[in-house]
Amino acid sequence: MSQEFFEFFCPVKIAAGYKALEHIPFELEVRGASRPLLLSDAGVVAAGLVDTVTGAMGSGGASAGPLFDQVPPDSSMASVRAAVALYRERDCDSIIAIGGGSVMDTAKAVNILATEGGEDLQRFAGANNLTRPLKPFIAIPTTAGTGSEVTAVSIIKDEDSGTKMPFMSQFLLPDVAVIDPRTTLKLPALITAATALDALTHASEAFTCLAKNPLSDAYASAAITRIARSLIPVLDEPADAGGRLELALAAAMAGVAFNNSMVGLVHALGHSVGAIAGVHHGMCMGIFLPHVLRYNLDARREEIGEMLLYLAGPEIYASTPHSGRATAAIACIEALRDQAHQRCGLPRTLAETGKVQREDLPRIAAMSLDDGSMIFNPAEVGYDDALAVLEQAWA
Amino acid sequence: MHRPAEFRPAGATVRPGPGIPYPLQRAYVRLMMWLVGRLLQASSAVDPVIMREVAELPPGFAFAMRVRAGGPGFAMCEQDGRLRLMPLQQAGRLQLSFDFKHLTHAFLVLGFVEGTAVSFARDRMSVDGNLGAGMKIVRCLNRMEAVVLPKFVARRALKAYPPIGLGEKLAAATRIYARMLLQLVGGK
Ligand SMILES: [Fe+2]
Repeated sequence: MSQEFFEFFCPVKIAAGYKALEHIPFELEVRGASRPLLLSDAGVVAAGLVDTVTGAMGSGGASAGPLFDQVPPDSSMASVRAAVALYRERDCDSIIAIGGGSVMDTAKAVNILATEGGEDLQRFAGANNLTRPLKPFIAIPTTAGTGSEVTAVSIIKDEDSGTKMPFMSQFLLPDVAVIDPRTTLKLPALITAATALDALTHASEAFTCLAKNPLSDAYASAAITRIARSLIPVLDEPADAGGRLELALAAAMAGVAFNNSMVGLVHALGHSVGAIAGVHHGMCMGIFLPHVLRYNLDARREEIGEMLLYLAGPEIYASTPHSGRATAAIACIEALRDQAHQRCGLPRTLAETGKVQREDLPRIAAMSLDDGSMIFNPAEVGYDDALAVLEQAWA
Repeated sequence: MHRPAEFRPAGATVRPGPGIPYPLQRAYVRLMMWLVGRLLQASSAVDPVIMREVAELPPGFAFAMRVRAGGPGFAMCEQDGRLRLMPLQQAGRLQLSFDFKHLTHAFLVLGFVEGTAVSFARDRMSVDGNLGAGMKIVRCLNRMEAVVLPKFVARRALKAYPPIGLGEKLAAATRIYARMLLQLVGGK
């Protein structure tokens, strides 16, 4: 018998499609909640998305509850504390997060203190330090990329120590992820492209890294298919609600995939470039993904070759000889990135980001070796290897 | 469609586990936990690659590798730039732990049938704590295995066998084993 073993877990209810936001009052009610705290950030409020959500909730007669809209771009301890204070002051019983990764991370941390009481978030940091379900939590993503609405992780910056505190627990998972095309309809083209490439990377790494399994493969391949067929049409026609919904669904499916199968070298490098040079996460993903797939080619030729089916469709897959499929799949991803570049200036190289100094590459390589994602990369990566991939991605 | 893809290092066709009685597995795992701890302690004093990694650990960094629920294991901490064994029971707050969920999973890794990364990827162990430092410990383990194990064994346990010449490998292994014996005789 084979020694394969895997675990797969996703208890998040996905409520997706037409008038999905209008279902929020029902989802609260069946969880015995009636006084949600709304969490968001200034950008999301300015884009009118909080109004869209409260309008949808109010259209059925429900009231939305107090709003905390001060979540910073990098989730912070101070904002978690302030939001928890509002939650307590207004006697809330549930949380609705409207935003991108930072808002989701903040909402998860707020939910810890809202449920467990006290002010000490630190004692729940690390893996599996929660032991019981938290308050009802509804996540409404406003970018189609991070997949935070279906992941069991939160990262909070501790301004005092200057470190990032990770939290990992199945209890952090939202109860419901509400995916409504209205929440991503006005996303600017560049952010649409960058976040879609983040989702494409989640799916690609889940599909090719060491912890891949049959269930995460199903989610990953479905996500790749949707991003490959919808990204460029959406960049050409931003008001295409059907395409927007496909991208948002893909991001959630890719999130489910990598929450179970983890990510690899693309994320290890991307986290380091983000930390050292402040480049947008999704842009890093788009830059590194083809180079890393090429680096992993010997270890994962079969899987990368199979990705051609999802990227290019059955006609092209069938007409490409088996031996050429993996390189054709990588070329597809490069073509997707280049088409996005033509339409919105998505950077194709580290140099094009304008933020990375070439002298920083050794430091970025060294830092990426200590990234936890590295362990799941199918091919071993040493310092010289990481530096070589960075050099290839330079220009 | 092709069969479900899997990561299995070349040559790893041994199927231990159910066939081997648990008392034997336990005895083997106990012995190997002891040996791996000793070898890590010795190599952190003489192997330059491992010393470089240990030098970057937070001061006093403590970690353990063990089979959950009180199974065999070992605990170590950083002290003056080296790794020192400490009694598992007395280990205070650990910054990192590798906990195998079952004895057989430890048997697979310590029998060099399956690498640490694959064991982790297959959810056979939970790795809790400082993952960044954990990557350094994993690299120490990989380097030690590459040096002290025969190549055909190490190749099964590692994602890639590093480019070490036979001369370098033998010299490094000799230094580590000699230091381990010295530490044993010296009672340290
Ligand atoms: Fe990502």
